[in-house]
Amino acid sequence: MISRRYGSVIEIRVDDNACNGCGLCVKDCPMHVYELRESLSVPIHPENCMGCLSCHEICPAQALEHKGIYPSRRHYIDIRVCEMLNRVI
Amino acid sequence: MTDGTIEKMKGAFSTDLVYRSEDVPLTCIPHPEELEDTLHGLMKLNGLIIRSLEEVAGRGANAVTYRAGRKYGHEVAKYFEKIENIEEALKELSDILRGQFTFEIWKPADKTSYIIQENGSTFIYLVFHDCIVRQTLRRNGQAQGGPLCQTLYGYVVGAIEEITGKKAKLEIVHTGPNACLKKLIIQ
Repeated sequence: MISRRYGSVIEIRVDDNACNGCGLCVKDCPMHVYELRESLSVPIHPENCMGCLSCHEICPAQALEHKGIYPSRRHYIDIRVCEMLNRVI
Repeated sequence: MTDGTIEKMKGAFSTDLVYRSEDVPLTCIPHPEELEDTLHGLMKLNGLIIRSLEEVAGRGANAVTYRAGRKYGHEVAKYFEKIENIEEALKELSDILRGQFTFEIWKPADKTSYIIQENGSTFIYLVFHDCIVRQTLRRNGQAQGGPLCQTLYGYVVGAIEEITGKKAKLEIVHTGPNACLKKLIIQ
């Protein structure tokens, strides 16, 4: 399911097969972007999305995808852990 | 530890460089790209200071960090042009904060203006994207919205007060892993 944000390129995609209808994204979103319809999360107001990506963090099924979000800088991954992971990968 | 090990460690700090007074470096040495370890060390230290402050001072920690941020905001913004228009002031603030914080003025789709009037108060929504506070907190596994965030509120409020000469207040609306929504209340 894709909802397009008017006037910009942001798209929110909810994977219907993965979404378990827990409603956590509905409760967490401060801008009420999502609504539960027939036990599935539907982005009814994607134009209000400010790209905090809290819904990504909270979704247990990892069913959400945002396209066109500004990715903020992330220096918070421990570089030692990264080095170790890179070695393993 | 053997003498050999100590000598080896000391060797890393001995150079043949001759330093004269005029040689004091005016640029960042080493190159910022090589400072990742230093940055992570600072983030860790900052996180621990804030955690300890919370343990010792409890809710008083917020007042301390807010005050520190506010002083910093006044200090940084005092060299900038004084503007009364709040939107222009925010543009100037974004120049001041560049490199540490980036933010955009934001409004819900149903609002016609960025300056919103509701229940007798006037405010502007700000979405903070890049934020050193968020990076530090998440680096250390600490919750967002605590005393370290108060530093940022103080910083923004101090800078806005300095630029516009008006009293301001910043309220947290939502914190997220990629952006945070804040409300700048103009008094």
